[in-house]
Amino acid sequence: MAAQKGFFTDTTLCIGCKACEVACKQWNQLPDDGFLFTGMSYDNTVHLGASTWRHVAFIERPVPLKPQDDGAFSWLFSSDVCKHCARAGCLESCPTGAIVRTEFGSVYVQPDVCNGCGYCIVNCPFGVIDRREEDGRAWKCTLCYDRLREDMTPACAKACPTESIQFGEISELQRKAEARVERLHETGLQDAYLYGADSAAQPGTEGLNAFFLLVDKPEVYNLPPDPVVPTKRVKDAWISMAAGALGMTLVALGAAIFGSHARDI
Amino acid sequence: MAIRYRKSAEPIRTDGRDIDREIASLSGEAATQKASGSSDKHIASIAQPWRKLPEPEHSAPTYYDRPLLKEPIWEWAIPTYYYVGGLTGASLVLGAAAQLAGSTALRLLVRRCRKTGFAGVCLSGALLIYDLGRPWRFFNMLRVFRPTSPMNMGAWILCGTGAAATGAVLLPEDCALSTTCGIAAGLFGLGLATYTGVLVANSAIPLWYESRRVLPVLFSASAAASAGCALAIFPTQDAGSIPKSFGIAGQLLEIAAGVMMEKQAAIVPRVASPLRHGFSGFLWRTSALLTATSLVVGMTGRSRRKQTVAGVLGTFGSLLLRFAIQHAGVVSSRDARASFDQQRAQQR
Repeated sequence: MAAQKGFFTDTTLCIGCKACEVACKQWNQLPDDGFLFTGMSYDNTVHLGASTWRHVAFIERPVPLKPQDDGAFSWLFSSDVCKHCARAGCLESCPTGAIVRTEFGSVYVQPDVCNGCGYCIVNCPFGVIDRREEDGRAWKCTLCYDRLREDMTPACAKACPTESIQFGEISELQRKAEARVERLHETGLQDAYLYGADSAAQPGTEGLNAFFLLVDKPEVYNLPPDPVVPTKRVKDAWISMAAGALGMTLVALGAAIFGSHARDI
Repeated sequence: MAIRYRKSAEPIRTDGRDIDREIASLSGEAATQKASGSSDKHIASIAQPWRKLPEPEHSAPTYYDRPLLKEPIWEWAIPTYYYVGGLTGASLVLGAAAQLAGSTALRLLVRRCRKTGFAGVCLSGALLIYDLGRPWRFFNMLRVFRPTSPMNMGAWILCGTGAAATGAVLLPEDCALSTTCGIAAGLFGLGLATYTGVLVANSAIPLWYESRRVLPVLFSASAAASAGCALAIFPTQDAGSIPKSFGIAGQLLEIAAGVMMEKQAAIVPRVASPLRHGFSGFLWRTSALLTATSLVVGMTGRSRRKQTVAGVLGTFGSLLLRFAIQHAGVVSSRDARASFDQQRAQQR
């Protein structure tokens, strides 16, 4: 098995240029999602989706980002992507086995197998994967599987001009990220922290293969504060189903036995 | 969208990729993704809630009040399937129970249950296939056996039910294999009537996730109620009070589980909100009202007409319940704050 690869997105370095979005669309030959002016800062991409695998969020905050700004305003940028969870809800819930774990540790949807049931969509706690209506299948970031096979860097990381998106071996990235947080703390940016760097930080997903450095609460970036992969808790439902089935059996047998006796009398 | 390319004198229609097929080929990871040209349809649905300004809540800011999750893409066919599958499964269970309890005395009831089950299982399959993005690939569901996926388990349960119910209906009634098929159909039917609760519960949508312990019980109770009501509308001579007591037990439990589900969800008020407000709340309340009315009418009246009325009311109650849960899930998925509140509450 090849080394486990992933992204470390350092949002303090992001300048909101959207080169990652463009590079992703171009390399993967993704169609557009339509053109709409949203009025949400400079974000007209809105959300990750079937044909949008990188999305830069533009956050306008009425508070300064110390120690950089003094005024009553700060601007945060963050390039969002599929997290390639160590324990992936989409993969575990996929009924066809179309979603697989690759040799690089990434989560990959095989377009020739997916039958578009839509179950992965409700199972992603990050709202990443989606079905394109005309196409009928589910799509999301592939971690540029084709490029990785050729020993190349994913298109978004390659195009990022500030190394906000870093690609590499996960253990290596974790080390780099921790050093970066320490460095930021030294310079006075106390709010910097890692989001989903490992299993201890995010037990619900057992860690993200694409993790982030953030400087505000996850909610501000439209990231869930404590996501849980639904399949991790589905045992509760199976137990409850067993109770329901047992109840139905007893009621049916009871009704049939007593009902037929009542008629005999 | 019309675009003029280097080599083309006339504007040509593109599929939203901006790729001149004369000089480039489609071979990227998403090369096979079908796109019908540029339209704002896809993004417009995402931008819908943005038409109104977000509430300025500085104490708990979100990303422009954008949804965190994607909406379930299932339309009318899936909640209808929950109802039909429940009715099918519960009918087969009752048929098997009657077969075990009554030998030949309940022959008509057993036959009716099996036929209902057979028709229901066919319709269930059709509804499920209809809803797929790629209907011809339905059989891909059966290329793996994956216990982590309730939908995969459901596909196998549905196939098992279909096979057993077909055997039970087609084989001559006095042959031993027919009896075995009837029992097998009852066992598979038990799964079919209850697994849809797990299917819905296995989800990141705040309301469904919060209700994961109640949903399978609610769905199995509602399935029993559906079967009882269907047999009240189309009774058999030998059935006596059997379908009625089966249905009434189901309806009582359906109402109790519904109350429990709302109570459980209301621990985080925003999570329960779709059950209390808006169209989904209206559906939820109406379904409970219909079921309760059906229960009262069914228990007080002995006449054939009253039983039919109770059956019709109960059928609509069960059907509406599935639509209420589906619609409430869609509303819940649009509310990022519901997810945030839920997860913050669990951290505490």
